[in-house]
Amino acid sequence: MRARRFLIRVWALAHKESLHIRRDPLTLYLGLLLPLIMALLFGFGISFDIDHIPLAVADLDRSPQSRALVQDFVAAQEFEYRADLLDPDRAIRLMASDRATAVLTIPQGYARSLDRGETAVVGLQIDASDPNTAQQALARADIMAQVATARIAAEAGLLEKGSGGLPLSARTWTRFNPAARSALFLVPGVTAYVLALVAVLLTSLAVAREWERGSMEQLFATPVGRLEIVIGKLLPYLAMGCVQVLLVMTASAWVFDLPFRGSLVLLAFASLLFMLGMLGQGLLISVITRNQMVATQTSMLSAMLPSMLLSGFMFPIDNMPLFLRVISHLVPARYYIAILRGVLLKGNGVAELWGQVAMLALFALVMIAVSTVRFTRKLA
Amino acid sequence: MAATPATPGQPAIQIRDLVRRFGDLTALHGISLDVHPGEIYGLVGPDGAGKTTTIRIIAGLMDADQGSVVVLGLAPDDPRVRESVGMMPQRYSLYGDLSVGENLDFFRQLFCLPRAQARQRIQRLLALTRLSPFVDRRADDLSGGMYKKLALACALLHEPRVLLLDEPTNGVDPVSRRELWTLLDEFVAEGMAVLVSTPYMDEAERCHRVGLLHCGRLIAQGVPATLVHDLDHPVFVVEGGDRAVLQELVEAAPEVQAASPAGARLRVVVKPGATAALRERLAGVDAHLEPTRASFEDVFVARIGALEEAAA
Repeated sequence: MRARRFLIRVWALAHKESLHIRRDPLTLYLGLLLPLIMALLFGFGISFDIDHIPLAVADLDRSPQSRALVQDFVAAQEFEYRADLLDPDRAIRLMASDRATAVLTIPQGYARSLDRGETAVVGLQIDASDPNTAQQALARADIMAQVATARIAAEAGLLEKGSGGLPLSARTWTRFNPAARSALFLVPGVTAYVLALVAVLLTSLAVAREWERGSMEQLFATPVGRLEIVIGKLLPYLAMGCVQVLLVMTASAWVFDLPFRGSLVLLAFASLLFMLGMLGQGLLISVITRNQMVATQTSMLSAMLPSMLLSGFMFPIDNMPLFLRVISHLVPARYYIAILRGVLLKGNGVAELWGQVAMLALFALVMIAVSTVRFTRKLA
Repeated sequence: MAATPATPGQPAIQIRDLVRRFGDLTALHGISLDVHPGEIYGLVGPDGAGKTTTIRIIAGLMDADQGSVVVLGLAPDDPRVRESVGMMPQRYSLYGDLSVGENLDFFRQLFCLPRAQARQRIQRLLALTRLSPFVDRRADDLSGGMYKKLALACALLHEPRVLLLDEPTNGVDPVSRRELWTLLDEFVAEGMAVLVSTPYMDEAERCHRVGLLHCGRLIAQGVPATLVHDLDHPVFVVEGGDRAVLQELVEAAPEVQAASPAGARLRVVVKPGATAALRERLAGVDAHLEPTRASFEDVFVARIGALEEAAA
């Protein structure tokens, strides 16, 4: 009898909340459209993959050999030939005006040095105002130089044809994300970020709105219990979160060929735990602030920023100073992203990820317990 | 579950020496009152007198610092009490984006009322409040009066034995106000105990008993007609003379307890035994006193005036 009444009330609250959600365009947008937009934006737009690096060439040698070197650089489309410089001193101006990111200078006498069997020196200047781009340009240039060296050596007969190359060569494999595509790296982060955003913000708004509009007073005057309110409020957003995970995963699998190598059950379970933790955090915020404005700002500071900056979403946690590394352990998105990457890209299972799952469970438990205790059925 | 047997003669609400503070401010200085089944008790007083605080404490939404509150024989925040208490807060507290029907249905479920039984009640309440044609209208799109009637319907849905109404007619047009009161009379006749707060003196006269609340103190309690009858201050309307001169004179006169405009004339509540002196004073400006029937408002201003004089 008591259990039946409990369920009826929880259902009543959940149904009412879902009516609010359906009638509020902002909630629908935040809940369903934003995750998709973010996933596509991060997958397509914000890419760490760099190719077509604008390259200017100051070829002072003007020989077939120097033209062959330039060809080596642009052949793989890592670099894109943009300008021909007669005066190497203009290189810095070109980079300053963003018309070139790299400038290759081939000195006069390049061909002659090669013919004599001497070491030929060429110069490469790179705009390092964006260190990430500079680093990648540098790495690519290194490869291009190796390619050119091998070609020149072969042409000069220094190597036996088809013998396999230079005296020393390292063979490297990149695993799990062989093309090192940033979409695959970012999608798990986007998923965690969007869930954190929507879960914390929407729950905190939903409960704070009830305080602000005065309906909490009417609610408290009925026999409804606080646990019923908490569960009834959280259920619709939990359902919404599930839809979000499915949406983002499906869209990413489709658009970015996101692989799925691990356990679906583990991923579903971890997603549920992560959402419960985020919903609990939103609840706690609104129980304490009772005000939509403050709830929004607190959600931003406590959930969105850490989920983006301290979770390994974009910036590797291992590279952070100790202080931030310690704080990152309090950010549930950190564990969730690790689980997503593990399951999706590495095919990990419970054996590798149980620690992360346990942390998510702990966070959810603490948040919901604390907010239920703090949630008193009194107005003042 | 909610069946607390009503002992005959036992009040539905019993408050003793209720004190509530908000920081340095004391909102209630020891209030005591009883509300019996089948009775409308009016808590009358200006804004800030402590009406809302009193009602919230009875509804179990706030705790008292001192004193006792017993509702239907139980503590006000006992879950069993909530099954039998209906509350209509002063603020807009329904869900504006839900329709009239959805709001009613939500509260029906919170009280776990069986659908079939509740449908009859909902039909009856919609008919009584004349909201039937608006079942599908969003609560936000209702007029002030219709909104309040919906709130009342939501509070009455579970047929409470105790009904708490915090300024139910605030912002409601006169026709809807009369309708609301007629509705109340109907339910009280069925044995409900009603505590209603209002700043309107004319509404006080529709209550069976009233308590005058002023600055957190009950300064008078009783049947409205008796309170009016027992007023020992004579009440007059000032006739003749120049209005501006009269106003100044009357307000300064020590014989006058309170003065208020009544149409184009002045209404004065005179201190006991001071009528003759006031007549003489008014004769000097060609004005005289016409006796008139005391109203409930006169009782209120006379009491407050006397209190403030005593305090000064």
